[in-house]
Amino acid sequence: MIKVVVVGGGWAGCAAALSAAKAGAQVILLERTDLLLGTGLVGGIFRNNGRFTAAEEAIAMGGGDLFVAMDANTKHRGIHFPGHSHASFYDVTTMEPLVKKILQNYGIEIKTRSRVSGVTKYGKKIQHLTFDNEEIVTGDAFVDTTGTTGPMGNCLKYGNGCAMCILRCPTFGPRVSLTAKADVKEVMGKKADGSYGAMSGSCKINKDSLSSELKNQLEKEGMVVIPLPENLKKSGMLGKKACSQYAIADYAENIVLIDTGHAKLMTPFFPLDMLRTIPGLERARYEDPYSGGVGNSIRYLGIAPCDNSLKVESIDNLFCAGEKSGILVGHTEAVVTGLLAGHNAVRYCLDMKYLELPTELASGDFIQFIHKQMATEEGIKLRYTFSGSIYFDRMKDLGLYSAQRGEIIERIRKTGLTDVYNTCLV
Amino acid sequence: MLKNLPMQCIDINSPYCPCLLSETNHCTFCSHLKGEATCDCNWSGVCILYEKQWQKNKWDNDNDIDTPLRLEAETKFSRKEQISKDTYLLAMEVNSDFAQSLEKSGSFVFLRRPTDQQFYHFPVGVMKVTGNIIHVVVETIGPKSTRLLADNNNQVLVRGPYYNGIFGQPWIDNIDNGKILLIVGGIGQAPAISIARQLVKKNNNITAIVAPGKIGHIFIAEELTELGVSVQEVASMRQAGMRYLSASLANTQECPELIISAGPDDQHYGIIAAMHTAGVNIPMAATNNTTMCCGEGICGSCQKVTKDNKRVRTCKVQTDFRHFIQE
Repeated sequence: MIKVVVVGGGWAGCAAALSAAKAGAQVILLERTDLLLGTGLVGGIFRNNGRFTAAEEAIAMGGGDLFVAMDANTKHRGIHFPGHSHASFYDVTTMEPLVKKILQNYGIEIKTRSRVSGVTKYGKKIQHLTFDNEEIVTGDAFVDTTGTTGPMGNCLKYGNGCAMCILRCPTFGPRVSLTAKADVKEVMGKKADGSYGAMSGSCKINKDSLSSELKNQLEKEGMVVIPLPENLKKSGMLGKKACSQYAIADYAENIVLIDTGHAKLMTPFFPLDMLRTIPGLERARYEDPYSGGVGNSIRYLGIAPCDNSLKVESIDNLFCAGEKSGILVGHTEAVVTGLLAGHNAVRYCLDMKYLELPTELASGDFIQFIHKQMATEEGIKLRYTFSGSIYFDRMKDLGLYSAQRGEIIERIRKTGLTDVYNTCLV
Repeated sequence: MLKNLPMQCIDINSPYCPCLLSETNHCTFCSHLKGEATCDCNWSGVCILYEKQWQKNKWDNDNDIDTPLRLEAETKFSRKEQISKDTYLLAMEVNSDFAQSLEKSGSFVFLRRPTDQQFYHFPVGVMKVTGNIIHVVVETIGPKSTRLLADNNNQVLVRGPYYNGIFGQPWIDNIDNGKILLIVGGIGQAPAISIARQLVKKNNNITAIVAPGKIGHIFIAEELTELGVSVQEVASMRQAGMRYLSASLANTQECPELIISAGPDDQHYGIIAAMHTAGVNIPMAATNNTTMCCGEGICGSCQKVTKDNKRVRTCKVQTDFRHFIQE
């Protein structure tokens, strides 16, 4: 039986494991920490703007299980907040067990606390991976979804230091890139000023630490916009953010809180003493990162060079997804790339032509556009997401954006990819 | 117990990390402090770049070249006992912090006369620490060691602590309720005491084969027995000792989980050859006999080359002795 090994249990890894299993492979999903979803454990926002299109495309292609699960675990839907329409917020506090269950139902073997730290190659193929405890795991094809964020040394060098985030590097050991260990030179994203990396774009405040009026409003409406006092407006912070869809003036002049289970604050960090001068936030404390008053994790420090099938350059049996596959933001983007990478890992084992998503689809155009942009000096300083900024503009310009389910299903049908991820290839 | 030892700096997580090597991007461990752009370390539980950030003034305030990097004590020998022709058991009292820092096996100090030039100092493994007194055994064969004891000198300058006296230290630190074979030859008797003292604390079952070696005298048999070690004295390690070793390696019932070789490099190689012949691959810790000058990873006199062509500064860097190219 074909064996696909997915390393990294974030949204991209979960999606890759899912599509590889659906395509008929025996799948093992390895995760360094004790929880799946990675930074998705503090994510929550989906279906906003072009992410609606991308999610519906994935569903129509037969890879919708994870989006269906998010929808089922959503607290608020159809929310409009500055710059964003028809957003849904899944509950980050209850999402992980649900996803784990779905993957297990597909027969995927999930191994948590399994940190891969070595790669053995033979020629241009990965033979096996080595865990910290010297055990090995073999496979026919591998998917690198180890992300690009952290660890502490990187967050210190390119940011404000370790902010004690959900990645929990000191406890479980820092992320190890499969691609780098396979001797492939990685690409690094840059900030507008040319320095490497970008800071994660939001912090999570413990909801119970808000005033009861604010908490009630947040839970009722899904989001709250509070104008910032004049002395706290700080547009200088925007350039460092990973999430350029929130790098707009509204977010510099207002505090935007979103109910994702925590009160998600749409800024990379905010000094606690200043935050507490805002009415309703007098007792506020951070949930993630714990030092959200000081900084946040740094991303895009190790992107795998790959083609549009998401096969990593110069290794025959290694695929990548999520942040590992390009400067992209968000878990919708992670899931869309994850599905493709897992599916193509199976195609590799069967000697089939790799699937590339056509540019008639938002997800296909997205992958190709990012890869083109990353080759340019300007493009490497930008972030790409279906939900805003440069890529959402492009979606609208090209007529790829749609919030009509029927229209998207029809689009997929025209490309002949209906239920492609639901088809067992083996 | 892990079979493979990652290459690791012994000073990590000690007050002596980050060290001077990090100042010039020569850290043996942290990729950033080797001048690389991103993280790629063999995670040990601490981030050295972070340590450096918090201790950034560590070297700035110490511009005086005479300020010691580690601890120094000017003291007198409280005991000087000749064991054999050129071998002396020395004891000296230092302050309690210094003494405590040397209690771990693998610890060593540098000794010289206080009035001599710095380059006279030479490394000596610590045999044991009792109260504030450290015990060492010195063979007066080279110019530095001979000079220390010449003219009935009693004054000594002790510098330490240094920790990389044993390759495979993590194996010794992490074994409990284990079956251990301790092979001791000649001057290796001194570190064998500190190894045995540490191992018995974790309820390990130790058998020691002890040979007099070049110094021609066994002086630790009684002390090992008192520690609960079962001691086999042999006249020659090459003959009787290796026979005993081969027999215990061949017998799966008796086969140890960890072998510790305290003695000359030839003895280490002899054990490796015996394991090879017996077709077993047991973790082996081995005393570090490398010539050292500075002890800080700077001078390079202790550098050894591994089979995968890495250059290792053995005063600081831990690795499996079997990785070294035989000299």
